[in-house]
Amino acid sequence: MSANDSPLWEFVNISKAYPGVLANDKVCIKLMPGSIHGLLGENGCGKSTMIKTLSGVQQPDSGQILHKGKEVRIADPDDARRRGVATVFQEFSIVPTLSVGENIFLGNMPRNRLGLIDWKTVNDASARVLKKLDIELSPETITGSLSVGEQQLVEIAKAVAMDAEMVILDEPTAALGEHEIEQLHVLLRKMRAQGTSILYVSHRLDEVERIVDEVTILRSGKVVRESGETEINVSEIVAAMVGEDVSEHYPKENNSVDDVVFECQNLRTRFGVNGASFDLRKGEVLGLGGVLGSGRTEIAHAIFGVDKLTDGALLLNGKKIEIKNEMQAINAGFALVPENRKYDGLFFNFRASGNITAAALPRIARRGFLDLAAEAKGTERLMNELEISPQAEKKTVNFLSGGNQQKVVIARWLFSEANILIFDEPTQGIDIGAKIAVYKLMNALTRAGKSIILISSDHDELLAMSDRIAVVQHGHINRVVGAGELSHDDLVRASSYGDAGDARPAAAAARIQTNSNESLAAEAIQ
Amino acid sequence: MRRVFDSQLIGPFAAMLIVALIVALTTDRFLDPGNLSNLSLQVSIVALIAIGSSIVIFAAGIDLSAGSMVALLTMIFAQMLKFAGIPIFVALPAILLVGALLGFGLGIITAYGRIPSFITTLAALIAFRGLALTFNNGSPIFSLDPALETVFYGRLFGLPLPFFYLVFFYAMAAIVMNFSKLGREIYAVGGNPAAAVLTGINVKKVQAITFAIAGFMTAVGAILMSARLNSGSPNYGQTLELQAIAAAVVGGASLAGGRGNVLATLMGAMTIVIVQNGLNLNAAPSSVQNVVLGLIILLAVGIDMWRAEISRFLSRLRGGATKSAR
Repeated sequence: MSANDSPLWEFVNISKAYPGVLANDKVCIKLMPGSIHGLLGENGCGKSTMIKTLSGVQQPDSGQILHKGKEVRIADPDDARRRGVATVFQEFSIVPTLSVGENIFLGNMPRNRLGLIDWKTVNDASARVLKKLDIELSPETITGSLSVGEQQLVEIAKAVAMDAEMVILDEPTAALGEHEIEQLHVLLRKMRAQGTSILYVSHRLDEVERIVDEVTILRSGKVVRESGETEINVSEIVAAMVGEDVSEHYPKENNSVDDVVFECQNLRTRFGVNGASFDLRKGEVLGLGGVLGSGRTEIAHAIFGVDKLTDGALLLNGKKIEIKNEMQAINAGFALVPENRKYDGLFFNFRASGNITAAALPRIARRGFLDLAAEAKGTERLMNELEISPQAEKKTVNFLSGGNQQKVVIARWLFSEANILIFDEPTQGIDIGAKIAVYKLMNALTRAGKSIILISSDHDELLAMSDRIAVVQHGHINRVVGAGELSHDDLVRASSYGDAGDARPAAAAARIQTNSNESLAAEAIQ
Repeated sequence: MRRVFDSQLIGPFAAMLIVALIVALTTDRFLDPGNLSNLSLQVSIVALIAIGSSIVIFAAGIDLSAGSMVALLTMIFAQMLKFAGIPIFVALPAILLVGALLGFGLGIITAYGRIPSFITTLAALIAFRGLALTFNNGSPIFSLDPALETVFYGRLFGLPLPFFYLVFFYAMAAIVMNFSKLGREIYAVGGNPAAAVLTGINVKKVQAITFAIAGFMTAVGAILMSARLNSGSPNYGQTLELQAIAAAVVGGASLAGGRGNVLATLMGAMTIVIVQNGLNLNAAPSSVQNVVLGLIILLAVGIDMWRAEISRFLSRLRGGATKSAR
């Protein structure tokens, strides 16, 4: 830690009210230079409000903001930037069609005397920034061709290039795999050593535990634990966030029985599934473990009819079935809760009911017309059962919290009465309370004899909630083992291409990802 | 759940009333029964075509082909009646079928050929006008059939027939969009095509159907156009597609798809026609009319886009007042 003991930024009794909610209630926080400060709390606890205040997006109603001890007013985002505050939001702000260098200097491109962009300076200066951070990327690479993890690093390099003293990271690892998270952490530690203050917001508590120096925990707009008051370990943090002791963080029930309900034999697609075979039992949660880009989502797509099978067979209750498109998959009793509910999960123009019934319209249609009464009744029942906010039926679903949105997507497949549910990253970006609700729902489903294929990058979750785990590598299932026989480290090692000792594993993973076609071909020859 | 008479109707309805009020205040001839009946005739063609344009927009597409398709269909229709000796009761359904098929064709090219609808229908806008010129050496065909005029000018219970067409087709459209599986699928495809695919909706088929509906409604408009002037001409329908899209937009439809109400499109069409009528009655030149139409479209979309800012501005006015009171 830095020798400097006075805070870089300090919030004193900051309050901010929105119509009907006190989003921040006399919040105090001290952000020290050369320190990684975790800002934690459930969705709606006031974290985003704080970030918006510090990044100049909005003004507090009352309270003081001190910058190096002097009271300041952060007028707008531009003002925040001038004062050295850089915010990396959850949704990336990089432009995929531009080069790494262009992205780093986007908004303040160096010009030459003619007013044209000075490419030499762009490339040299961005190369210097990348070197300083030990990011081995060329400034001239087109950003869209990089892996998500590398794009995230570019995003942070951008903050560093503008000499930010304060970097706010909002859910920086939501889209990253284990290796990429590790590389991000290496980078953050480096920045910390260089004296940067980092405000780190994440729902992934295991990773918070690893990286942060101090934590502030918010609940309902108030600070419930100031920095130094809490030991930085997951169970303490969870208890403080939820306000009660959550001993049952992973309330796993074992409902698996021996009957095999579904079997994949040697599945292959042109999109990275390379001879995947496994079986799924009644009432079982089968976890698919593996790094980002290992082919887990692609296996889900192969089963659900999104990607065409080039080889292999699907057996449902011992009988071979053909699934050529999503409709056939749904009719056969499959469900897919996609990885990114915003991108391909939700209809933001519909309320909860329209979202819930979308996959089973024939169920409520008579001669082409919808039985709206039946729809309302079915929706209401599921909303009660899943404890979805009643707001969900008053407004379109874009107004809901991430947890409620995810429940709406899951409710869709309860309404369609699916028997085999594929959950792709079902708890990504939702708060701990909603996560536990999703886990309980998984229990209820398996108790009812349904089976779940769980894809998750949260290894603790995967290990705790699965009955068995299939380790996926290069779109191929290496082995299937009981979840109890595997430790966190085993899982990381088993899915990490045997190069766990590599100093730059993320780059290795990215390389394999971009060259997947060649490596698949190479493997096929072997 | 979506309801037929939901909040989406209030804005366009209010806009229509305000415009009508302004026009009524500037000229006493506006509320004249003869003028009102004339209005319903004037609005009918664009409002009927706008049903199709709106449905295409709800599914996140755009149809630029309507105006040229009207010209082409009036020429085919005139050719059938005048030169081929096809009786009117055969020619009428035939034109409706041709319209629906042309639209379906554009839909197939768009959905299955993965060409943006802006491009497919822009190509059709140009090509259909050209095709219309291939009939009768490019000259209009007049005096088709005396019976034809009844289709447009006929009356029932003292009301012009086009009024009943409007009621019938808008009722049908409202029922389909709000109560049918197809309507729900159209909104789903427009709202989020990627999610629609994963919920088992046949996105391409739904897209193609919206263009078939648009083609059908364009044919209805073309028949009224022929009946109104008892003729067919390759010059009919210029900019009609833009007026129909404007009606949808003024009615609050989002060009990004997924949001809009077909009854609000009717309000949008009426708003536009009332403004044109008001300018006519006040003897404004047609150049001014087009400028005003342009401004209305900007204003309608602007109000929709700036809704958040407007409400924030209003609440700040109110908030500022209470703060100073404290």
